[in-house]
Amino acid sequence: MRSDTTPAIKLVGLQKKFGSTIAVENLDLEIRQGEFFSMLGPSGSGKTTVLRLIAGFELASAGTVFLDGKDVTQSAPFDRDVNTVFQDYALFPHMNVIENVAYGLRVRGVGKAERLAAAAEALATVQLAALASRKPSELSGGQRQRVALARAIAVRPKVLLLDEPLGALDLKLREQMQIELKELQRKLGITFIFVTHDQEEALTLSDRVAVFNNGRIEQLGTPRELYEEPASSFVAGFVGTSNIFSTSESQKLVGTSSVVSIRPERLRLSEAASHDTGTVSLAGQVQEVIYLGAAVRVIVLCEQIPITVLHQFDYGPAPEREASVFVSFKRTDLVSLGN
Amino acid sequence: MRISTSAKWVLGFISGLVLLFIYLPLFVVLINSFNANKNMVWPPPALTTEWWGKAFKSLGLWEAVATSVEVAIASTLLALVLGTLVAMALSRYKFFGRQVVSLLVILPIALPGIVTGIALNNAFRTILGLQLTMATVIIAHATFCVVTVYNNVMARLSRMNPNLQDASADLGAGLWTTFRLVTFPQLRSALFAGGLLAFGLSFDEIIVTTFTAGNGVVTLPIWIYDNMFRPGQAPVVNVVAVVLVLASMIPIYFAQRVSAVQDS
Repeated sequence: MRSDTTPAIKLVGLQKKFGSTIAVENLDLEIRQGEFFSMLGPSGSGKTTVLRLIAGFELASAGTVFLDGKDVTQSAPFDRDVNTVFQDYALFPHMNVIENVAYGLRVRGVGKAERLAAAAEALATVQLAALASRKPSELSGGQRQRVALARAIAVRPKVLLLDEPLGALDLKLREQMQIELKELQRKLGITFIFVTHDQEEALTLSDRVAVFNNGRIEQLGTPRELYEEPASSFVAGFVGTSNIFSTSESQKLVGTSSVVSIRPERLRLSEAASHDTGTVSLAGQVQEVIYLGAAVRVIVLCEQIPITVLHQFDYGPAPEREASVFVSFKRTDLVSLGN
Repeated sequence: MRISTSAKWVLGFISGLVLLFIYLPLFVVLINSFNANKNMVWPPPALTTEWWGKAFKSLGLWEAVATSVEVAIASTLLALVLGTLVAMALSRYKFFGRQVVSLLVILPIALPGIVTGIALNNAFRTILGLQLTMATVIIAHATFCVVTVYNNVMARLSRMNPNLQDASADLGAGLWTTFRLVTFPQLRSALFAGGLLAFGLSFDEIIVTTFTAGNGVVTLPIWIYDNMFRPGQAPVVNVVAVVLVLASMIPIYFAQRVSAVQDS
């Protein structure tokens, strides 16, 4: 039975051990149809292993993988209706671009004329129609990336798995490919599962993000939820930058006895303390001023605790080093992270 | 690295001397194949094409060539299949005893031929109770021919992106299709190079052959050895030697071309 409410991917109690190390620990996760879903985490956090478990390159030590409601835990990769875009693209070096893209249809027994037409269409989708007869070695990194995408979408999978696909590209190209990926996903309407260690990339592209740490999901939510309501100090620190205060530090600074965090852009600098209700003002001394172009990052030492402030030029001139300032913020902007 | 002009001259001179030492005897063989004197006195009193004519009319010689080619082709094919399989298994899977298996596969090329010969002779006749035939020579040659194929395929696989096979499976190809369309095309030149070496090893093998060949199985090296000291046959052997030198240039040419293509 499947309907639009059947999750595209459902993982139940999924576990993967390599020898005695546990790469993925008892994972439960549902990914919706047509969703742009990111798995974000540092290297070794288990996100790529989860992707490989979904693709079928690894077999689970325990647990179940459902693809579109069907149990595929024991199925080989070629029996799963998902396709992968590899980090190193893994294009077949002895085939030209169009042969690469047509490969999935070829092994499915689709006739030559039909598969070349479908491959040409997929190539057009990624704007590479002109390079159909080139060899992969004659392409730039960004072009290879597009060929890998075209090859994966040519077989019209239900789910597309992307393993750090933009990792090898330079910044400008990466930003351009991010936009194209998002457009492509909207146009095709298929589920994208995107693995990345780049939090900015995950936030800008995704409908939902799972933050991985030590083989477990630390937090699952929309980019907005992760950024504004981080559930742990790991998430607060990994997603964007945060000032995270330990229990003893927050006791000193704001008089609470739990770990709290606050984003640098929520802090304001002033020469005089603010007396508005609900506003906290801390006296401190400017330790470092770092010019960022659109803003300056100011590190202020309050009670010997360094606090990072993102200071916009709209708010006034940037303070000098060693200057005495007040760091002010609304108490409601503090996020409690428990003890 | 820069070297002085005088060093260049000295090194060039030594290189020339070494090459001369290798190729001069071959040149002498070439001349002697036309030497009119039966005992190959030097310098040749006169030239003749008599030996060339005799060689081409010698039935035993042609049979020996055919036997050698047959043995070399069969043991090379055997080595190609087995060497590829073992290389793929050892490169793809990590298991207990992997290094030991690798060592055992390579060892036969280092074993003295006399040891392999005696051991296989014993194994075939005493333990397995087999008659020595051409098949026993083929199997014996395959034991060391496997090594060249294995080494070449192993080296290629270690440079090959393992994701290629995953990508193929991911796109819907089964194991055999992946091998046929992705792995094999990547291995083709390695198989060619390994097969060429294997063919060469088998073709000029004499020691192991002596111990494992049945009655009437005469390979070319054995025929040459038998005829070398037979009265009046030495000049014909010279002809065979010249033909073999020329014939061995063909595989060397192809091998160099294959590796040139890979490097570019």
